[in-house]
Amino acid sequence: MFEVLKWFALFAVLAIFLFPLFWIIASSLKTRGEFFTRPPIWIPSHAEWSNYPDSLGRGALKGLVDSFTIAFSSMLVSLLLGSPAAYAIARFQVGKRNLAFWILSIRMFPPIATILPLFVIFRFVGLVDSYFGLILSYTVFNLPFAIWILKGFIEDLPREIEEAAKMDGASRFQIFRNIVIPLIAPGLVVVALFTFIFAWNDFAYAVIFSGSKVTPLPVVIAQFAGGHEILWGQISAAAIIAIVPALVLATFLQKYLTRGLTMGAIK
Amino acid sequence: MMVGPAVAVLFLVTIAPLLFSLGVSFTNLQFSSPQPMRWVGIDNYVTLVTHDVRFQTALVRTLLLVAAGVLAQTLIGYIIASLLSRVRRNRALLLSPILIPAVISPVVAGWQGRMIFNASYGPLNDLLARFGIQGPAWLASPQTSLLSVFLTDTWQWTPFLALVILAAIESQPQELIEAARLDGAHGWSMFRRITLPLILPVTSIGILLRGVDLFKTFDLVYILTQGGPGNSSETLTFLTYLEGFKFFNPSYASAMSFIQLIVVTVAAKGFLGFMRRQESF
Repeated sequence: MFEVLKWFALFAVLAIFLFPLFWIIASSLKTRGEFFTRPPIWIPSHAEWSNYPDSLGRGALKGLVDSFTIAFSSMLVSLLLGSPAAYAIARFQVGKRNLAFWILSIRMFPPIATILPLFVIFRFVGLVDSYFGLILSYTVFNLPFAIWILKGFIEDLPREIEEAAKMDGASRFQIFRNIVIPLIAPGLVVVALFTFIFAWNDFAYAVIFSGSKVTPLPVVIAQFAGGHEILWGQISAAAIIAIVPALVLATFLQKYLTRGLTMGAIK
Repeated sequence: MMVGPAVAVLFLVTIAPLLFSLGVSFTNLQFSSPQPMRWVGIDNYVTLVTHDVRFQTALVRTLLLVAAGVLAQTLIGYIIASLLSRVRRNRALLLSPILIPAVISPVVAGWQGRMIFNASYGPLNDLLARFGIQGPAWLASPQTSLLSVFLTDTWQWTPFLALVILAAIESQPQELIEAARLDGAHGWSMFRRITLPLILPVTSIGILLRGVDLFKTFDLVYILTQGGPGNSSETLTFLTYLEGFKFFNPSYASAMSFIQLIVVTVAAKGFLGFMRRQESF
């Protein structure tokens, strides 16, 4: 009896959490008229694929390319700056606990607290509506994340290997480059995937620092959704396009999902 | 040398802007008015705390959203986690789809909400109608707009808390559970005396992250309601955004964002202290 109830409850949970997703997929395949029927159409009678090319043509393609460029660059920056910093903090106690605490506390900032002054500064130096401006502003949350997660991975390594290499005359940089980096490869993967997804999904920074030249996908979707004539089918198609990369990555990093989502607090 | 570049960049994008913003919050800088900028001391803060009803309401509303969100997501998350912990084989097949909401963009979650809560053509009111219930106008009604934001956030983030609590349940030492069971603990006493203290440390990290993020709720409000109808779903970050970027009042908005920074820091510290005391008994 309990078994039956358990499975019933689990499938109910599954249905609730997947239903909205089902609804956007169905909506992305509806014709315009099918959005205004009562009761609503749950499954369209035929798949209207034209919503996809149509939404790409109306700016989603540019959004896709921009989002990818920015997210990928932000990932690279986070890895390049984050891994040596994480190593120094983990192994040489650089900055003691203060630096580590500061890095963690950035996670708690309301983004608007940094967005506002950054906007004024960026406008002054001409970084509003530029790729570099968005990539730089994403280091606000991606770099602390990278440092924090990699620090955890490095602290898990046995010190003996590095000490042995030091005895053999390897320099600090050689140890970092040739021993530590290969050993924390899983950590680098977690950081790469998460920093990409965080930048890919961001809206708060994107909506303020983008303009006519740079338009990340979430901003394009928000513009579609805020227009006078709401293009239900096309927006839903763009939303599906925006979900796919995050979904693919999350499937790959399933094993590390908890660690990434909890800032490394749970391994 | 190794931390240099990272610290320099972080200084440039966090500390420097915050200091700049702190300075601006003590002035009357406005983009829209021609009057020269001058120091006004703590005037902005005093106005916010003593006179600005819109700000104070937004603060209370945001705290309400944080409390309701954290409570609902933890409770439902616990139920899902304990169900999942009783699934031994092929658990990943259930867990992966349940976790999809946690990796999608809040803009997409917001767009889903726009369709699902649509009063005339949405599936939610259609479903309610089949049970003979007349659904509310959801996003278009001041009574339910904040509720809709809460429901969307809960849909998106409950799976995350379920994942965290599941990790906590899995890491309980089995011997302890067995010993307690042999000593006759079961049901509520088992949960209160054994399970709860064991899962609390890990769960509280999840709750803290969720609380902090709920306090920052911006994207969902932007897409779902734009703070409306009226100001009925206006959160603090959304109001700060309006103040800074729509009303062009950066000095006042900076003061608002500093009050938020103080509230979130004090609340997070208080919560951690409270949790630590709970664990010790």
